[in-house]
Amino acid sequence: MFSKRDKLFFLSLLPLSISLLAVLVVSVTTIALRSLDALQHFGLALFASSIWNPEREVYGLLAPVIGSLTTSAIALLTALILSIPLAITIAEYLQGALKSVVSSIVELMGGMPTIVYAVWASQYLVPFLKQFAMEPLHSALPFIPLFSCKPVTGFSVFAAGVAIGISIVPYVTTLILEAYQSIPVMYREACYGIGATRYESIKILLSLARPAIIAALVLGFARALGETTIAVTTVGNSMYLSSCLFAPGYTVSALIASQFANAYLYQYAETVLYSSILVVVLIAIALSFYGSTTIVRWRLRVVV
Amino acid sequence: MYSWRKLREKLFTCLIIALSVLAIAPVLHIILTVFVNGFAVIAKAGTSFFTDLPPTPLSKDVGGIAPSIAGTLLMTAISLPIAVTLGLFAAILTAEFPSNPLSLAVDAIAKPLASIPTIAVSMIVYTLVVVPMKSFSALAGAVALAVIALPYTYTYFSTALRSVPSVYREAAFAIAMSRWGAVVRVLIPVARKALTTGVLMTVARVMGETAALLFTAGRFRTGVSFSPTAPADAIPLLIFDYILSPYAVWHQVAWGATALLLLAYLMVFLATKLIVKEVRL
Amino acid sequence: MFAVEMNNVSVYIGDRQILKEVTLRTPYNTVFVIMGPSGSGKTTLLRVINRLIDLVEGARVEGFVKVLNFDALHSDPYELRKYIGMVFQVPNPFPHLTIYENVAVAAKINGVAKSKRELDEVVKWALEKAMLWDEVKDRLYDHPHKLSGGQRQRLCLARALAMKPRLLLLDEPTANIDPVNARKLEEAIVSLKDEVTVVMVTHSPHQAARVADYVAVLYDGRVVEQGPAQQLFLRPSTEIAQKLLRGEI
Repeated sequence: MFSKRDKLFFLSLLPLSISLLAVLVVSVTTIALRSLDALQHFGLALFASSIWNPEREVYGLLAPVIGSLTTSAIALLTALILSIPLAITIAEYLQGALKSVVSSIVELMGGMPTIVYAVWASQYLVPFLKQFAMEPLHSALPFIPLFSCKPVTGFSVFAAGVAIGISIVPYVTTLILEAYQSIPVMYREACYGIGATRYESIKILLSLARPAIIAALVLGFARALGETTIAVTTVGNSMYLSSCLFAPGYTVSALIASQFANAYLYQYAETVLYSSILVVVLIAIALSFYGSTTIVRWRLRVVV
Repeated sequence: MYSWRKLREKLFTCLIIALSVLAIAPVLHIILTVFVNGFAVIAKAGTSFFTDLPPTPLSKDVGGIAPSIAGTLLMTAISLPIAVTLGLFAAILTAEFPSNPLSLAVDAIAKPLASIPTIAVSMIVYTLVVVPMKSFSALAGAVALAVIALPYTYTYFSTALRSVPSVYREAAFAIAMSRWGAVVRVLIPVARKALTTGVLMTVARVMGETAALLFTAGRFRTGVSFSPTAPADAIPLLIFDYILSPYAVWHQVAWGATALLLLAYLMVFLATKLIVKEVRL
Repeated sequence: MFAVEMNNVSVYIGDRQILKEVTLRTPYNTVFVIMGPSGSGKTTLLRVINRLIDLVEGARVEGFVKVLNFDALHSDPYELRKYIGMVFQVPNPFPHLTIYENVAVAAKINGVAKSKRELDEVVKWALEKAMLWDEVKDRLYDHPHKLSGGQRQRLCLARALAMKPRLLLLDEPTANIDPVNARKLEEAIVSLKDEVTVVMVTHSPHQAARVADYVAVLYDGRVVEQGPAQQLFLRPSTEIAQKLLRGEI
């Protein structure tokens, strides 16, 4: 039942509070409109080759698009390996002061400016990965295409993926932890009630939370896709498309970061860059919409 | 059989703990290396690090990052009220009318909006603000920052307002408060700590953002400017440019600036923790 | 003339019917007690009177409700509530305001007091009426979390009284406080009826017997019996009322 005053109150909130909707609509529209030229002129051929030659107005976005997807996949794998154990540790193994300290550290990591990660990753993580991950993998398994090239500088798709992965660990961990801890106590008790050990009960609870965990990973992937600063400083920025993870590459956002500033000098460079980000934005919005609604639906089903 | 179960339990625990340590280790190493490298630079430069202009690539002196500090302060000061006002209104709407279709839409859109890459926001604001104004500006940078902060600020605020027990709302209406009266006199004051935390987290996000400023703020490093319509620099932007450069002295400046940024972030983070810890009234 | 008059009032929340054709009359300056087991719709009935039912998602009210001189269902609820005080089941003083401010805010927004001196007087009067003044007069600027649960509930009564209401709604006000404080609150309630009409919800027949002038028995959304308290307690005419008095439901 709405009285007249309730309606006036609603209307007084309206203009400012629909800003979120407005921002989303304006953002997507702007990018779409600016991409139009490139999409009309080049069509889908734009995504079939890898070339950046604005002087001759020839462009191909295959390498950065593949690079974005590959780095995000590696980031996801990194986050998967680290986030699930971290969430389990916080939820199951830690108590009292230590638990709140570790939770605070996760929170601290989550809000830390990505430029700090970027500086650290480019100066410490890349050399470290080159020496202790890329070179050993290359010498041990050179016949696998992904590891087939010798890492030269270390700046590569692999390094960018791991670095971005580390930066999304807190985000994914928090989402998994929220889901895991929202599982009603009765299920936990049921696990111990049938004589399960801690390992067995964690396994059961994780399988119960699986849809939410997958959604958390999808959200993590969406976030990794758009990461710019860490990507630019670690990916090596090369338009060369390689099957090897240890070769330098590009991501869409890294390409934009390094090319957009001068793109206005050419006829199509700017609109090509807008169409490249359009692809990323649409994927990211779709994935995050899927991820967040999945979590909500899972919660309604399990938590009640 | 029994001992295998026990062994598996032990192995599993060890693996989980080891991977957790590995997950936490980077942040500790980051704080350590940034502070060790950065404070050495700041110590070498002295107070001029805060007051001087950045060095030329081949300079021997470290110089300072005064233009970037000024720009970060200016753009934070402009973007914060925008994000806070819009976020607060949206949060009030969804808290007061939780099942209204519009509220549901606003709520559902927060996460997708936050997933738009910040570099895309930079390009959008470039088209909508920089091109019409014919110049990079602190204002354009601040608009980009506000857009990026908005979904986060909204989420902090809406969580804060929804955590206010409904009994206080009922009490407010029972003594004949108006809708706005209940919001201003009860809902917001009762949630004030969580709201303040939300504001601080918005500050943290805004001052550390890099990509949103790439094509909006400009990179004004030859003087200290507080004009909203003039180009400006920001600490993260300076770090980004300098760490990618080949010059040793610029790398040094980048480390110093990173230490400063991290320190500022840690202080804001600590403040949020202290607010939550303070005795509940 | 009646302070509250309901004719054939039905309330639906979603598809569920909570109140079923309720008809009742509350004479002025009496303590009118609504009794009934939990889930019988007592709280909903109370919330129809001051239109707090509006806050419930998907609630719909049918019938005729007259409160004081208002056609309650077709008046501006914010205007209506100016004349109606309410105390809730769980003590809910505003946590961010001091004891003084908690009472003063109700007086101020309803224009009961203009000057600071008048305000001081109203606050003192309300706290005295709520039998709390002696316990808090030296710490009016403390926050309510320093009070005991029973004291907090009396603070809520004082807050309601500071509006100078003509009608006071009490929703199981002693359900969550200790017996000593409950007695004090009952005493305060009985002493109030010269100034206001009290409508009180309780599930305790003993409490009803101590304070009530009139009683209505609510069961499964229907008023099954109503009348003067003495008559109803001595000769309950329905089986449900008898069971309720014996504590069987």
